[in-house]
Amino acid sequence: MKLLTKTTLYFLLIMLPVFTAGAFYLYSKFNKEIKHETDEELVNDKLQWMRYLDTARVDNPIFRINTPEFILRPTENAAQSKHQLKSVDIYQEPENTYAPFRQLTQVIHVNDKNYELVLRKSIIEKDDLVNNIIHVMLAAFGGLLLFVLLSNWLISKSVWKPFYQSLGKIQKLQLNKLETIVFERTTTHEFNQLNAALSSMTTRIHSDYTSMKELTEDAAHEMQTPLAIVQSKLELLLQDDTLSETQQNSILASYEELQRLSRLNHNLLLLAKIENQQYPVTAQPDLCAVVEKYLQLFEELIKEKELQIRKEMAATSPWPLHPALADILVSNLLGNAIKYNYTRGNITIRITTDTFTVSNTSQLPEIPGNVLFQRFKKHNSNYTNSNGLGLAIIKKMADSYGFSVDYAYMNGEHTFRVTRSLSDSGF
Amino acid sequence: MKVLIIEDEPALRASIQDYLERQGYICELAADFPQAIDKVNEFDYDCIVADIGLPKGNGLDIVKELKLLESKAGIIIISARDSLEDKLSGLELGADDYLTKPFHLSELNARVNAILRRKNFDGNTTVTFHEITIKPASKTVLVHNQSITLTGKEYQLLLYFIANQHRVVTKSALAGHLWGDEYDQAGSYDFIYTHIKNLRKKMLEAGGDDYIKTVYGTGYRFG
Repeated sequence: MKLLTKTTLYFLLIMLPVFTAGAFYLYSKFNKEIKHETDEELVNDKLQWMRYLDTARVDNPIFRINTPEFILRPTENAAQSKHQLKSVDIYQEPENTYAPFRQLTQVIHVNDKNYELVLRKSIIEKDDLVNNIIHVMLAAFGGLLLFVLLSNWLISKSVWKPFYQSLGKIQKLQLNKLETIVFERTTTHEFNQLNAALSSMTTRIHSDYTSMKELTEDAAHEMQTPLAIVQSKLELLLQDDTLSETQQNSILASYEELQRLSRLNHNLLLLAKIENQQYPVTAQPDLCAVVEKYLQLFEELIKEKELQIRKEMAATSPWPLHPALADILVSNLLGNAIKYNYTRGNITIRITTDTFTVSNTSQLPEIPGNVLFQRFKKHNSNYTNSNGLGLAIIKKMADSYGFSVDYAYMNGEHTFRVTRSLSDSGF
Repeated sequence: MKVLIIEDEPALRASIQDYLERQGYICELAADFPQAIDKVNEFDYDCIVADIGLPKGNGLDIVKELKLLESKAGIIIISARDSLEDKLSGLELGADDYLTKPFHLSELNARVNAILRRKNFDGNTTVTFHEITIKPASKTVLVHNQSITLTGKEYQLLLYFIANQHRVVTKSALAGHLWGDEYDQAGSYDFIYTHIKNLRKKMLEAGGDDYIKTVYGTGYRFG
């Protein structure tokens, strides 16, 4: 639930009982006031009548009048000095309902006789009053609701603006672009505190990240020279004719392992360089041509495994990639498709203008999605010459240059599909 | 043939010197930029192997200096950084080749060999090893003056072997030379054996000696 919705809802929840109580209060107040006014009028009428009756003659028909609003009838009761006021409901013939009235009664002494005087006045019907009050209250409540919504919207537009700006920035956060994040100063104290906290957090993360990355890069760089030295020394040692067979074997084994270490180092450096965007997009190499180049390069391997290659390729497919990365993309996927294939297996290569798909048969089971692109995750330990970085490199490339990589497994076929968004073609 | 090795790492410098001298080159050494500049100004070399990352200067500036001196020396740049920019700017400045650390000494030697062949004789030379004669200009191979037909890979293999004659050459060095760095992507390089087998067969059929010796399954020695 949005903050705005939530505050509005809470506000309305609080306002509802307040308005209800207000309505009741208003109702009772009105009721009281109306009674009071009517009573005053009744008393006034009584005084007028008394003055008139004092002068009236005995045979005046007034002494026998009986209407709902005025009754004067003889009574045996003793005369009263004070009148009595009360509310009564009187039957209304045309409407067939009872209506509320105020009634004044007093036994008076006129012409040596006692008469009971009853004066009645209709008060506004309560139902109407209640209805009116409910209407007014609902209107007020609705008006307030509109007002609250409108003002909240306006407030969120202005007051919450810095918050949403900061939020937007954090949402778009990329680890390698942390240093570009600047949180502007706002006029709200809380947001300034938040932004300051975010700033120091991103700065800290960025410096940690940078130092980690630099460590990897430096370590990889610094390893190149010692690797070169060791490799050269081993190669020289191999030339020694006096070595025994076991010694020479050990040296060869070390030499081959050193090669593996070199490749690993090379790939780690490559990952770092891709992440640092050190491969600018300057040209759009044709992926079809790159595929043909690598099919040629891997020709012996394909023949050796007697692999069937199926190609469904568009005439050309220029991709916005550094040529070196286009090479790596194709050689990694095609290399895997050959390496993990079985004898007389199939490889299908599909290229459209915006997708590059490589499918291959393999005895390996489906690769679980959560480890698919993880570094150093070898999906099969039988392949010792894999360093578990090939797919990680492809994933990194995709992330850095706006491609997506999908993997699917169906009927013993592993399929990797690289898709580029066509909007990036104008690089 | 005189080769100048410009490399600040003493151990690597010594290895290069050792290997190249065994192949019959005369090597001179420079450990930093000023030394290198002095040497190239003072002497003529047939080939110069220069590390880019040098104390007190950049290897690329040595290439510039050599071009200023209108030197005819072949230049191979070595870099610890596998950077395309370094490679391109090096080649643009007039370097003949580029190698990334770590490299196989046999590969460096083969490249020095190829450059010298191209430079000194404008390619119009023959490479001879006993009864084998190679004419690089026409890519023809003669055994006992009788032409044999080799595939591209077999031809490259033979040239590499002759350049590194009497040395143990590892399979990974061969694979790297013939297929480039991507060969390891696809897994095994057992298929090298097929090429070697075919090359050996063709040379034996033409009456040549069997010069390719297998060294415990992982390497080869020619001659």
